[in-house]
Amino acid sequence: MLMRLKLSRDPNKYGLILPVFLVWILLFALMIILLPFVLLGALFTWASGQGKWLLMTYPLLISTLFHLSGLHIEVENEEQNILIAFL
Amino acid sequence: MSDERKKILDMLQRGKITVEEAEKLLAALGVPEEASPEAQKPGCRYLRVVVEPGPQSEDRDRVNIRVPMKLIRAGLKWAAFVPKEAQSSINQALREKGIEMDFNQITREDIEELVSQLNDLTVEVEGKEKVRIYCE
Repeated sequence: MLMRLKLSRDPNKYGLILPVFLVWILLFALMIILLPFVLLGALFTWASGQGKWLLMTYPLLISTLFHLSGLHIEVENEEQNILIAFL
Repeated sequence: MSDERKKILDMLQRGKITVEEAEKLLAALGVPEEASPEAQKPGCRYLRVVVEPGPQSEDRDRVNIRVPMKLIRAGLKWAAFVPKEAQSSINQALREKGIEMDFNQITREDIEELVSQLNDLTVEVEGKEKVRIYCE
């Protein structure tokens, strides 16, 4: 997945293309590092009912990230044009 | 076609029951009428929000947002993380706006049904700016 970022009104400029999947690699590495702490947190808060939601964070986060593809946000005024698109 | 529906239509054909009786029986079965071509339209993939300047507007502001439906579904699941204290605040804020709704009572099935009904959503507001919200 790629993220297209454009902050100019110039139609000739395509904008900046960012490889989001590289950020994901870092994010997944961080998630794996944090996993033991999340599991411990879930274990301690299980009785209060919050533990279940803590465990749900990982699949929900992954689901949200994977469904970003197709998101297109474009705001344009007289001075500038902001475009954020996930390709 | 289900067996019950076939039996009712067969009874109608043989003249054992009248058309009205057949209609009543089919309604009791909960058999839906044949879907119209419009009702069979494929589900929408994106929710679009487009804001354009109206004919009398001097502003040149434009907004064009396309949100994948899958992202909306994934995002709505985060609603489960809203703490109970916040839920009561949401209820109070809704009540102040005149909306009698209990946020605690909203289930995942309700949200799923709401999202599935977005297929038919079309909102058009024309004033100083033209706002269109629709599915595509």
